[in-house]
Amino acid sequence: MDPKRAKQSPDSAEAIRLSPFPDEALDRILALLDSHKDRSSASLVSKAWYHAERWSRSCVFIGNCYSVSPEILVHRFPNIRRVILKGKPRFSDFNLVPQNWGADIHSWLLVFADHYPFLEELRLKRMTVSDQSLEFLALKFHNFKSLSLLSCDGFSTDGLAAIATHCRNLTELDIQENGIDDISGKWLNCFPDNFTSLEVLNFASLTSEVNFDSLERLVARCNSLKILKVNQSITLDQLQRLLVRAPRLMELGSGSFLQDLTPQQYTDLETAFRGCRNLQTLSGLSEASSLYLPALYPACANLTFLNLSYAALQSEELAKLLAHCPLLRRLWVLDTVEDKGLEAVGQNCSLLEELRVFPEHPFDQEIDHGVTESGFLAVSYGCRKLSYVLYFCRQMTNAAVATIVQNCPDFTHFRLCIMNPGQPDYLTNEPMDEAFGAVVKNCPKLQRLAVSGLLTDLTFEYIGTYAKNLETLSVAFAGSSDWGMQCVLEGCPKLRKLEIRDCPFGNKALLSGLEKYESMRSLWMSACKVTMNGCKLLAREMPRLNVEVMEDEESNEGQAYKVYVYRSVAGPRRDAPPFVLTL
Amino acid sequence: MDTSSPSSPSSSIDSNHNPPSSPSSSSFSSICLSSNHYLSSGRSTSAMRTRRGLSTDLSLCLSTSSSHQSQRRSSWPPLKPLLKSATVGRSAEEEWQHGSASGLFVKVYMEGIPIGRKLDLLSHGGYDDLALTLAHMFKTTILCGKRNKAPSDKYYVLTYQDREGDWMMVGDVPWEIFTSTVKRLKITRADRC
Repeated sequence: MDPKRAKQSPDSAEAIRLSPFPDEALDRILALLDSHKDRSSASLVSKAWYHAERWSRSCVFIGNCYSVSPEILVHRFPNIRRVILKGKPRFSDFNLVPQNWGADIHSWLLVFADHYPFLEELRLKRMTVSDQSLEFLALKFHNFKSLSLLSCDGFSTDGLAAIATHCRNLTELDIQENGIDDISGKWLNCFPDNFTSLEVLNFASLTSEVNFDSLERLVARCNSLKILKVNQSITLDQLQRLLVRAPRLMELGSGSFLQDLTPQQYTDLETAFRGCRNLQTLSGLSEASSLYLPALYPACANLTFLNLSYAALQSEELAKLLAHCPLLRRLWVLDTVEDKGLEAVGQNCSLLEELRVFPEHPFDQEIDHGVTESGFLAVSYGCRKLSYVLYFCRQMTNAAVATIVQNCPDFTHFRLCIMNPGQPDYLTNEPMDEAFGAVVKNCPKLQRLAVSGLLTDLTFEYIGTYAKNLETLSVAFAGSSDWGMQCVLEGCPKLRKLEIRDCPFGNKALLSGLEKYESMRSLWMSACKVTMNGCKLLAREMPRLNVEVMEDEESNEGQAYKVYVYRSVAGPRRDAPPFVLTL
Repeated sequence: MDTSSPSSPSSSIDSNHNPPSSPSSSSFSSICLSSNHYLSSGRSTSAMRTRRGLSTDLSLCLSTSSSHQSQRRSSWPPLKPLLKSATVGRSAEEEWQHGSASGLFVKVYMEGIPIGRKLDLLSHGGYDDLALTLAHMFKTTILCGKRNKAPSDKYYVLTYQDREGDWMMVGDVPWEIFTSTVKRLKITRADRC
């Protein structure tokens, strides 16, 4: 129905008969849209569409909590049930952001309490969350169902106790990799006896021992439990008892896999795993050894994601395990498996799409083993569908990377970390420019890139010329001059996140992106050559950007040691700590 | 050379690494002066500096509390602090990614003394920190990279052996790069360099 026709003759009976309330149809159709990008596009079509979209939106994703304020959010979207918020810059994971920087959820919760009383879901990443906030959340939002905290800090297990005690309709409690004050495991006892709605429980990253009886009873009465990831205090025989209670699990994170089992206990464990026919994801397995790994094999037939980053497996153990995982699409391992283990990956996992190899001893120089370019090559020959890689190694060559990306042209995420900063191709002693040149030339779908090794501006020329779909770029100890950064800013139209540390990029590079930064989520530069004057100029020219400089004991006179630039419709932060200067 | 690397966190606590007891104030002030001097010598602005100002709280250096340690952890390689504990109940902040719970322990020898010490480089924020700890350990003035004092037998300088086996003066490269290439430390007399 053409809205124009309805406008031209609004009062005529004929028009009313012919026009079937386009607004209502629009509302119904837009309500079916899930993708944030689609909804954004729809909201730009016209005022009618903008309003229809904002009334029908129930889930909102905010990639930078300071890009908008809670007041602006609730004003535009009155009916939100699910909120996804990300806070601190990613380099805060590596201690580059001091404590008390901000990204506190509390101010958001206060506004939500007034405007979103029916809030159901909160997914936070790199936010500061206090116990007080968790208690507020548990008490004020009676419909609250789903809490996911990833890389957050500021709370303790007392906060979790409040959630367990008061959230009667909780379906998800997902606590991952947080800077949490782990006082005790008593929070688990706080789920009421008549509480049965839990579907997701992940407390793998907590260390305190939980009461096993409480956990067993909880698992037994929550019939819809699909995801269970326990911590290392849970032993193998305890795990067996849990599996017997929850055979329909789709994702399992085990506790410690090291225990002296009697033959009967081992058989029981194997039987329990055999009963888990729906398992798609498996993790945990700390201290797993060849002794008990075979108990797992019956559960691996449908496995698509295997996370072995806590299990220091040797190459043979991995090879034997992988032989039972024909459908594997994602694999995370420690470099204890070495190149030989990765050869087994190449031989067994033809459907593999994602591989992450973490170093067991990242800071130890006396380690000669680990993985090298050979392992990566072996995987690329066997796993042609590889699209996501995160690879920590101590040596790499340009030739190897060139071959790898010829074997696997579908890379969307290529994150290579040669652990010694500024290390060249170990065979030719040349910079690693050609390696990353090959990546961007051969992989047109590349969205995310992390570079390492000895790199000159040539790497960045390549990136600017070829990486037309690049959205996220991470750079450390690389580049020769401002020109490198300029190439990227001028050449990558879809760039959203740029994070740089310890590179010789200065004001000229910073200011070359003047008009670019408003189309990006954020820019991070630390230990570069940018000065306060350069940042002040940027702030002056681009008033809709927040230009923040973090004071640091290490900065020289006039140097801007840590710079964080991001677009915002909320103006400068009102909660900045004393060491954050907003220019 | 110590070739065995600790694979479980509990074995990484080295019995040789004893936190130093209260130092004499005189060696302190001389360390502060010397390390301040080398810091202000011309270096590229992109070099990583130490994280200690001159007004270092002595207790921070001596403290083994986890909150201080977590602030001075290395920021490279880029790994998130994940948890791996062999013993349940340890404070979450003491844990770090996999083998890094074992820290980066290197041997330190002082010229003329056959028995060496061991210290964890990763529990230090930078060269300043390191100089302070060494001053406590060996009860002497140690210079990191300072050159314009006339060489004499009154001063010691800190040197290190890198991955290629060469002996180098400590303090020339950014701290992050130093920690990734250092294998052992040696305190030698200034007039020998």
